[in-house]
Amino acid sequence: MNKIINEIKIALEPLKIETPALRQIAVVVKPDAIHNSLAYFRQKGFTQLSIVTCIDWIKESELELVYIVLSWTEGIYIQLRARIDREKPVMVTATDIFPGARYYEREVHEFFGVDFLGNEDAAKPLFLELWDDIPPLRKDFDPQAYSDSKFPMRERGNEFVSEFGGNK
Amino acid sequence: MVLDKKDDRNVWEKIGDYFSANSIWMKWYCTGCGAIEMPPTMTSRFDMERLGMGPMATPRQADVLLITGYLSTKTLRRVIYSYEQMNSPRFIVAFGSCTINGGIYYDSYATIGRLDKYLPVDLYISGCMPRPETIMNGFSGLIEMIKKGEAKGWKHYQENYEWYKKNQLDSLGKIIIEDEFHE
Repeated sequence: MNKIINEIKIALEPLKIETPALRQIAVVVKPDAIHNSLAYFRQKGFTQLSIVTCIDWIKESELELVYIVLSWTEGIYIQLRARIDREKPVMVTATDIFPGARYYEREVHEFFGVDFLGNEDAAKPLFLELWDDIPPLRKDFDPQAYSDSKFPMRERGNEFVSEFGGNK
Repeated sequence: MVLDKKDDRNVWEKIGDYFSANSIWMKWYCTGCGAIEMPPTMTSRFDMERLGMGPMATPRQADVLLITGYLSTKTLRRVIYSYEQMNSPRFIVAFGSCTINGGIYYDSYATIGRLDKYLPVDLYISGCMPRPETIMNGFSGLIEMIKKGEAKGWKHYQENYEWYKKNQLDSLGKIIIEDEFHE
């Protein structure tokens, strides 16, 4: 574990490195260094990309991308984190290193609006069809207002009574 | 819009309903979490077969469409496809509180609120989710409704087709499915 942390410090020069839990390492890098870091981890035996996900830090106006890679020989998870601009979120694709990232990047694009350069599928809809609003997992999206405008609810009262034989 | 339950069948429809009520094929389309209550209902413990009901693979051969829980807009498009493929008489049984008024997904951006705006529901089974006993009770209620001629949702859908279509289009935007599996 310590050996790996020291190696990462020398090779990647991360902004921050810590161990949030047992057998987990969190590495914070600059957004330009994401692609190099993923290639480095892949070459070091972290062959599984478990997830690519995103966190919306609305006060700092930043989106934080999180890549989690796993090594089956060491049994260690590494969270690779980088913060990108919230207004124009752009990231280089990881599909040339981990082909499975294709669908994770589609998901992040759909729910957070991050553009992935080099992934042609990223802009295709994955879960939501015909979406017509800002990406729904951003903090400034109001699901209640969207739901009220699209999906009418049942008015309580008259109908409820009439099913039990009351007056309509 | 409330379904009326007046019996206005002619004698041949009465005979047909008498026989179809004793042999109901259900299209088991798993839309939500309630689908997990169906295996015990179908298999030996509760044994739906003793009501004369059985599962069927395709909508064109089925009589009952089960909406087992919450419906996302994406699923609702497929459900409308399935419902319009079914032969009449066709019935919809809706499970749980999600189909009545959204349930715990009342403020979700992806799931609809009330189902009977989009499709005619003949019977609601209450619960979140309904236990197999409740489902069996609901199905025997559906059989009684068919025999008495009260399950007229499919006629209502034909008569008020524009109203249903308008609601569907208002919420979904477009019903034709154009995902990468239909290209």
